[in-house]
Order: sequence, then C-alpha cells, then structure tokens
Amino acid sequence: MPAPSVLLAVDIGGTFTDIVALEENSGRIAVEKLLTSYPDPSAAVLQGLSNLLASAHIPPAAIRYVVHGTTLITNTLIERSGAKTALLATAGFRDAIEIGNEGRYDMYDLALKKPAPLVERRLRFDVPERMLADGRVWQPLDRERLRQICQRLRAEAVEAVAICFLHAYTNPAHELAALEIVRQQLPGVALSASHQVAPGMREYPRASTTIANAYVQPIAERYLERVAAGLSAAGIQAPLNIMLSSGGTTTVAAARAFPIRLVESGPAGGALAGLHWGRLLGESDVLAFDMGGTTAKAALTRAGELAISHQSEVAQAHRFKRGSGLPLMVPMIELIEIGAGGGSIARLNALGLPAVGPQSAGSSPGPASYGLGGSAPTVTDADLILGYLNSDYFAGGDIKLDNNAARNAFADFAAALELPLERAAWGVQQLVNENMAAAARVHAAERGLELRRYCMVATGGAGPAHACGVAQGLGIQRVLIPPAAGVGSAFGFLTAPIAFDFTRSYVARLDALDLRALNAILAELEREGRRIVEAAGLPAAAISARLNIDMRYVGQGYEVRVPFPKQTLTARHIAQLQRLFEKEYRAFYGKLAAGLPIEAVNWRVLISGPPPQVSGADFSAGAEFSDAPVGSRRVCYHPEKSPRATPVYRREQLRPAWSAAGPVIIEEAASTIAVLPGWTAQVAAGGCLLLTREEGA
Amino acid sequence: MIDPITLEVIWNRLISVVDEQAAALIHSSFTTVVREAGDLSAGVFDRAGNMIAQSVTGTPGHINTMAHCVRRYVAPKYPIDSLRPGDTLITNDPWEASGHLFDLTIVSPVFYRGRGVAWFASTCHAVDIGGATMGGDARSLYEEGLAIPLMKLFKAGAPNEELFDIIRANVRVPDQVIGDIHAQEVGNQVGARKLIEMLEEFDLPDIEALSARILDRTEAAVRSAIAALPDGIYRDAIAIDGFDSPLSIACAIEVAGDTLRVDYAGSSPQVERGINVVLNYTHAYTTYTLMAVLAPGIPNNEGAFRPITVSAPPGSILNCSKPAPVSARHLIGHFVSQPLLTALSPLLPQRVLANGSAGLWNTMMDGISADGEEFAYIFFSAGGMGAAHNRDGLSATAFPSGIMGVPVEAIETAAPLLMHRRELRVDSGGPGTFRGGLGQVMELEMLSGAPANHSCMYDRTGSPALGLFGGKPGATGEVQLSDGTRPHPKSHYVLQPGQRVILKLPGGGGFGSPLERDPRRVLADVQAGYISREAAAREYGVRIDAAMTIDAAATAALRKERGA
Repeated sequence: MPAPSVLLAVDIGGTFTDIVALEENSGRIAVEKLLTSYPDPSAAVLQGLSNLLASAHIPPAAIRYVVHGTTLITNTLIERSGAKTALLATAGFRDAIEIGNEGRYDMYDLALKKPAPLVERRLRFDVPERMLADGRVWQPLDRERLRQICQRLRAEAVEAVAICFLHAYTNPAHELAALEIVRQQLPGVALSASHQVAPGMREYPRASTTIANAYVQPIAERYLERVAAGLSAAGIQAPLNIMLSSGGTTTVAAARAFPIRLVESGPAGGALAGLHWGRLLGESDVLAFDMGGTTAKAALTRAGELAISHQSEVAQAHRFKRGSGLPLMVPMIELIEIGAGGGSIARLNALGLPAVGPQSAGSSPGPASYGLGGSAPTVTDADLILGYLNSDYFAGGDIKLDNNAARNAFADFAAALELPLERAAWGVQQLVNENMAAAARVHAAERGLELRRYCMVATGGAGPAHACGVAQGLGIQRVLIPPAAGVGSAFGFLTAPIAFDFTRSYVARLDALDLRALNAILAELEREGRRIVEAAGLPAAAISARLNIDMRYVGQGYEVRVPFPKQTLTARHIAQLQRLFEKEYRAFYGKLAAGLPIEAVNWRVLISGPPPQVSGADFSAGAEFSDAPVGSRRVCYHPEKSPRATPVYRREQLRPAWSAAGPVIIEEAASTIAVLPGWTAQVAAGGCLLLTREEGA
Repeated sequence: MIDPITLEVIWNRLISVVDEQAAALIHSSFTTVVREAGDLSAGVFDRAGNMIAQSVTGTPGHINTMAHCVRRYVAPKYPIDSLRPGDTLITNDPWEASGHLFDLTIVSPVFYRGRGVAWFASTCHAVDIGGATMGGDARSLYEEGLAIPLMKLFKAGAPNEELFDIIRANVRVPDQVIGDIHAQEVGNQVGARKLIEMLEEFDLPDIEALSARILDRTEAAVRSAIAALPDGIYRDAIAIDGFDSPLSIACAIEVAGDTLRVDYAGSSPQVERGINVVLNYTHAYTTYTLMAVLAPGIPNNEGAFRPITVSAPPGSILNCSKPAPVSARHLIGHFVSQPLLTALSPLLPQRVLANGSAGLWNTMMDGISADGEEFAYIFFSAGGMGAAHNRDGLSATAFPSGIMGVPVEAIETAAPLLMHRRELRVDSGGPGTFRGGLGQVMELEMLSGAPANHSCMYDRTGSPALGLFGGKPGATGEVQLSDGTRPHPKSHYVLQPGQRVILKLPGGGGFGSPLERDPRRVLADVQAGYISREAAAREYGVRIDAAMTIDAAATAALRKERGA
C-alpha cells in the first residue's frame, strides 16, 4: 500500500462547512461544501467527510494529515452559551473587567451599551494576595480564604474558573498555588490562569481573555472529543490538528487548554490562502480580500508576512464598532472587518442620502432576487440589475435569481432618490466598493503602507465581482482570483505550519536588562512551545524558534515589534537590539526620538514547524478547454453610458495562458468574476486568474 | 448639479481622507496623549473655512473649537488666495482656538491647479507648553506658558526657524513637542495629497459645490430636528464645586422655529484660578451635547452649527476675558452638558440622561522614586454616568469627555505607587427607576518610602449629580487620608510613606422614582453588590431578607408608606 499522501482541511463557518482534500503527489483537489449542522457541528463534518471520501475515491488510510478550523468558539462567545464561570481576582480588583477602559466607543451615542462581563459580579471573588510590579510578593496568598471560596463555587455548581491576579505575568507563584488548590477542591472544573492564557501587562484585557478561555473550555473540550472520535470511527488515523487565529495549527491537547486561540481561525485561513496564491505568482505585497454574504474581510502583508496583532476583540455589543467587544490578548492575524457583503441592505441615511449596510439580509431571507421572502434592496440585487450576475447561473445554478424581484426591491429606493433604477443600483455598487476601499485605505495609513504596490487576492462569493471596482478605488493594478475561491479558508489551512507561540511581559530598559532572569524566561517559553509542537509529531530538527520583542521609547504608549535572530541574549546583543529597534521604528514612524531611553515590554517566542508543501495544487486537472464564450450579456459599467455587450466565459473551460481584454465576465460555480473595461484577464500559474489594469486606464 | 449617489460616494471618500490624515498624524506622533488617549482632532475645510468633515477620533473640545478657529479666525486673517503652496499656519490662542495654551492648532491650505481649494487642520494637546504645569493654580494667562498668535509655521515649504527656536526654548520636552508639531504637519500633507487624488479621480475643480451640498443637507436635517421641538425657553441651573467656593452654571435654551439659542446668563463670574472657560470651548461642548441629544445620526460639520447660537456674558466663567487663567478649563467646561440635558428633559425625556459625574478625576503624583530619580505621573479616572428612561447609567465611564483610563498594572509599572483596591463604589449610583452609574473607589500608597506631592483635580465633592423625574442624586466624591484628614480636592498636599489616600468617585443621578424600580432589579443589584440591603429598603422600599429573597409583604408596606 502506498504511503498516505492526502491532506485534509475542514472549515466550519456560520453557514457552511467546507472540506478540501489535496493529494500531494498529483496535486489533485477535491472539495465538499455542505450546510453547518446545529446544535452539533461535528455531525456535518463527519457527513461531509464520508461524502467526499466516497466521491473522490480516497481511502481513509490514504489521509496523512487533518487540519480543522471552527467558528464554534466565536459563536459561543457571541451567543453567550458558554460554561457557568467564576473569577478569582486579587482582592480589591474583581471589577477590572467591568470598569474596563472607562471610555465610550461612540462619542455621539448616549444610549451605547458596553459588553456585559462574561462573569456576573456575584461570581467574582476577592482573593487576598498581592504581587508588586517587579514580581516581589507584597502579601502572601491566603490559602484558607481560597478554600472557603471554593466551597461557595461548589455550592454554585460553577463549571469553569478563571484566575487573574495582578502582575501574575511577572511572578506566577500565587496563580500556580491557587490553581493547585482549586484543582484539588473542585476536580473536573475547567481552570484557566492568566499567566498561562495571556501573560501580558494590563489587567483588563488579560482577565477578559482568561475568562473567555475558561468560559469556552468545557464546550471546546466536548466538541473536539467528538470530532476526534468521529474521525477515528471513519477509519482516519492521521493526527488531527487545530487551526489557530495566529495562522498556525496545533494539537488537540493544546487547543483544549487554550481554546480562546481558536477565535477567528476561519478568516485566518482566508488570509493564509491569499498569501499562498500571491507568493505562487511572485507577489510579496498582498491584500487578501474576502467578500461574502454579510461581511468583507481584508488582511495585508508587510515585508511579505501577514501582520500578527495581540490586541483584538470578540462579541461586539455594536457590530463593526471598534471598542464595543470583549478585549482579547491572543495572537491573531490582523484583519480588517467591514459590514459589507452581497446581502448588505441599501437604505437612506439620516440626511436622505443613500447608504449601504451594515444591516444585511444574510442568507435568510437573503437578497430580494433569491425569491426567499427578502424585499429590501441589496448589493447582490444591484449586481444582478447591472448585469454582473447571471440569473440562471448563480451558485452554479443552484439558486435562480429573480430579476423582477430585484428591480421591485430597488423601485422605492430609486424613487426616493429621484433616480433611474439602474443609476440607483450603480450607486449602491459604487458605495459598497468605496466603503471597502476606505477601510483598507485607513488601515494602511495607520501602518504607513502604500497600497498601490499591492496585489489583491480576491475570494468569497461576492469578492471576484467587486474586486476590480475596489482595486480601482485603491489604485491597485493587479488582482488575483485563485481557484476554488469559495473554499479559500479551508484551502489556506493546508498552508499553515504547525506552530505555537508564548508571550511574557518583562518590562525593562535596554541598559538595565537582567540577562540571567530574561534568558531563563526565554528558555521556558521555548521549552513550552517545543513541547506542544513536538507533540504534533514533528521531529525536533524540523522545529525552529523565532523571538520577537515589543519595544518602545520609555514613556510611549505603543510598541514596535522587533524580530531578533537569537534565542539567548548576551551583553553583546544589547547594542544590536537597539539598532534593530531603531530600524523598525524608522520604518514605521519615519524618524527616531534620538536620545530617549528604550525599553522592552513583551517577549514573544514562536515555535514553528515547516509549512506543508502545497504548491502543486492543480484545480484544472481533467477539464475540457474551449476558447469560445458561453454567451453574452449587456452589463452597465458607467451610469452615463448605455450597457455594453459583454462576452461571458466559463472559468473551468479556460486553457492555461488564455487571456482577454475587458470587459469580460467569467463565471464559475461559486462566484462571478467581473473584468472591467481597462482591465485584462489571463490564466496564470496554479489555475489563478490574473487581472491587470492598464496604466492610465 | 451633483446627484445624491455621487454626493454620498464623494462625501464618504472625503471622510476617509480625513481619517487617513488622522491616522498619519497618530502614526507619526511622539506622545501617549495623542497616540493612546486619542487626544486630537483632524478635519477638512472648504475655501472659506467651513468644516466639511472630521475624523472619527478626538474629543468635542477639540473638534468643534477647531471648526470655529478655522472659519472665524484663520480664513479671515489669512484668506486662502493670499497664501502659497507649502504655507502652514499655527496658533494656540485660547480665545480663538481650543481654550488653553496646551492645544496647538495647525492649519494648511491645499492648492490644486494653481488655486487654493481647501484647508486641512488638526488640534493636538502638547505635552508641555512652558509656564506652570497643567492645573488650576495660575492667577493669569501669563503664568500658563507660551502663547503663539496665528502665524506661519512654514513659508512655501520652509520652516519658520525663529518660531521653532522660540518654542524649543520655552518648553520642557522640546523633542516631543516639536515632534508632534511635525506629525500634525505630516497629517495635513497626507490629507492634502489624498484630496488632490480624489479631485483628479472624480474630475472636480474644487470642493465648493460639494461643500455647499453637504452643509445645506446637514443644516436642513438639524433644523428639522429642532423644528420638531415645541417653541419656548427651557432653563436649568446647577451648582458645581468651583475652586475654593461653589459656582453656578445657568442655561436658557430658546427654541424658535428651526433655530435654537443657548444663553448662559446667570452663570458665575470668572475666577482668579485657571478653570475659566473661553466662549469657543463653551460653544464646543454645547453643540456637542445638543447634537448627541437631538441629532445623533447627523454628521458634525459647519452646517450643523448654523441653526445654533451660543452666548454667555462676557467676563463670566463660561466666556472669560483675557488674560484670565484657563489651563484647567475642562474642569468647568465638561459641566455645561449637565444643565443642558436637564433643560431638554421635559421635551425629550427618552433622549436625555440624568446628570453624571461629568468631570474627570485627574490624579497627579510627583516625587522621588526608590532609586533616587524624580518621577511624575498623571492618570485620569471616571465616575458614574446618569441613568436614562429605560436603562441604568454606565458605571465608571467618562462623559462628556472622550478619554480612557489606565490599567493599574500600567500605573504601578510606570510609577512607585501601590493601588490597594480599585473597585465599584457600592451605593454610589443615584437611586431611581433606573439607577445612576456607580463611581469607583481607589486606595493608593507610595512604594518609594519617600513622601510624594499629590495634586488633586477632583470635582463633585460638594455638588452631587442630580437625578431626573424623581430620580435621586448620585453620591458625592470624597478624598480622604487613612488618618481621617481630608485634603483640598483641587489643590495639592504631601502624601507620607505608609499613609494611604482613598478616592471615592461620584456616582450618576437616577431616572424616575426609586419606588417604581422593579423589585427584581433591586434584588439583582443587591446580589451583585451594586447596592446594599440597607439601601434597598431605605431608598427603594424593597425589603430583602438574609436568604436574598424579596419579602413581598414588607416591600408593599414600605412602598405604601412612602407613597408609591
């Protein structure tokens, strides 16, 4: 029997569960898409797997590697359906999660709501103990009092406990002792300690992260067990790896200990896919752009890598308002999220002017043209009216779009604006494109990046139809539409290395680093990381470690991330550290604050295996080529001009190196690609479509 | 003629251009005030200086004062046609700009096809401006630092070196101050570049037609919001702590058709301490409060200001005359929101809030740390907000200011301080059908073993946040040392080693009679520890027994006895 050679990726989204199988030697890809099952998402996974293995004739024993990503954690937090959780906090500080940052995320909204803490106040307990900022013990842990609290927790039938003591990231002794006591007193209760889950300074986001981890732990544990058991029942013996929001994958054991690191792993896969396809075509500056039914997400590379953020939020009280969610301190691929998708609803704003979103018709009732009861005008309806979409070939012909329903939905909207219907539809398309471009522009400006150099990789059901329009608004000249764009996230999982990172806050000026203490911390972080990555079955020699240090000028509020090539520091390295910091600082801010002392704040050790080799992916294998368009339709590209007759092609029929000048429409099962006038399309490496804009067009 | 689609597309683009301006500014800034607390504003203006769009960052005190500064001061004094490409103007005149010398307003004209087409401006809080440090102690403006009358910062792209030298010679941390001035200029230039790209892309000669449409539409929307109110004069007056003795803020809101006039006649005269407010700043917090209540979905631009006029007697605390000291003008300025909300409450009971703690509590400590080095540290904290017709007030949340607090771990890492507790303050929210937000309690001690100077900038220690429609006031603030003595809440004293200072921040006012609060909500508050069992009986007439259940009979009797 040949060696197992199939890689399998499973992505559970809110609506769909996507499964991708890649045969390493031939590059052959098989895809399965089915509705996510509720309340037990593992049911759809196992059903989809059995469908896919049967239709693609893959014996379970041929599977070498399985990677899985899920929205379960995010959904649990949004729906607040997690475990009954208690907080043990340093006496006097149990309200840190309720006091928060004392700010308002919207200046003009007097009725704004803040996210309620996951632990109600009566389940937040004061534990007498105190560490100082430098790690010295000010007040020892009161073990007796803690045992009494445990009795209360037992009486309350608490299912999970989060422990967050002040400055535990500097000295975890009290948290460790408390863990031990609670474990003895309350066997079977899920436990999370802040120095393990989110060991960074700032008690509010650290406690929020630790609580969220405890809150989802029992749910994640049961779920991961079911998936593992199901795979094994299906005869799949390959190790199961879990996708993390940081763009790496890890073992089930590590995922069970740190389930909060699974938040937003689906979008992380989308960003990884963008990076993969961009690299395949030699692009290092990539804007991964994914537009689905309700939201659009974008990620940007910097110096060829996806940026990782350690400050994010989840379960926003007000969707798309930054600051309205529960803060999280976990490594996460930095994403721009915009409330704009195919289902986004057009409306009139307070001034009687047109606006699009963030309200969405979603997939139910969906856009008016779906004929499922939706009556509000949406972006998809506008795309249909303008001729971008084919009413008979949407979602591969599975959904028949109703042109009249779309026009009816737009009638009132257009009348209110005193505009012809087509012009109103054109306006909605322009507005949604402009909203997405604006979000990307401001994100780039915050980071000092110039988007004109970037190549956009467009995915998602609505992404390829809007890609050229958004690119034009950003001055971007190249757009890549990868194959199987509709299952981009799952495909991206296959490109993720096995990786885990640990962070420790250790704040010290460069001229006053305690190298002994620091090296002990770094060695411990590396040991913990290696233990997890090696458990995934990688040989020690294949594992590499990378150190990143967050540094700043003393007194600054923001840090700059500095990669450092060594794992152990000696006195000789201090000057090098300063030089590297200054290099990054200058790149980010343009100039230095010369003369000010520099301090290091967070030390981050990333342990990583090699990325799987998937460059041989071949989506076109077995297709029959044809140069002839399958049809033609009239498409509106400009409000002042009449619609233009536009040839329509089927993507799977386009042979390698095929090219055509826009306007051209290219249809495939999961999306429609609009090549606008002034753009040229060609079939490029790996089955990608490369759209380029002529200079001055 | 611009159709509504094109108007909205270009307008959105203009907002994104201003956000890019702000992002570039923040990105290049050297100071935490700008970068972390977001203490800045950025905006774009038409040829005449009308503010068309502002960035989403910032505080009302900066945005609305900047709008007035450009239209009424900069554009008349330096008409855009009298300037050249590469010119940039600067001022920190408290009366023309944002009310104290710390705020630098930097304004750059934009030229396109040989003609001035727009202005970009930003206002940022400088970390230092010379003179006495921030606080209310100064007796006149001249003690408060360097004043920069409106002048050129750059002339045709070349820096005004004399001015830079003067600034450098007057401030304690010149690198940071000059660095942020450059950051503001960088932001303006990024905005200008993006605006020109926009004009090219949409084939527009300038933004005059666009501006006219945006301002007219906004003005019309605000006028119709005002017209929906019944004509009349609506008044309120509140007492506030003042520096040494209580002051009064009185307002009269006159609604006449689609216009609204706010007059502060009856407010106290200006004082010889740096808490006086210039009219521009009074105007800014007045229009902010009115917009938040009347028209929260309508954009904030010059069109929104047109139907609203604001006046206060010259020489009063809200329209002080030169050279009154103004450094800590926010201590008073944040309170103008309070009587406005109360005055509007009979008209819009479902939109307003009861009064809240309003003023930030600014704690500043300086002294010698354990290693013998000098340190100085300041942090801001918030009390409770007022309740509304259908919800409790937010606890420990800043309003109307837009700042954020600092985590205890960050405070203790940066300064030799030990915070013994920082928790919500039980029974501090004003009782009501909906309860006021809770204040917080902080207990601090020095860790260095040496005494430290503690500068207090605390308000509502005398005058509480009043409730609405039968709601009760929130608790007043308290400053107390562990030996029982009470320091002056707006001055400074020496905190001795081993001594603790306890800060109890004020709570927000309640909304509606507490006797009508759902007993189950009262029980939930007791269970959570937001209120005590005693307060449940005393204030709400709800008897909760030791087993934490509502004694229905006793409750009915209690409430009947109180006349509920």
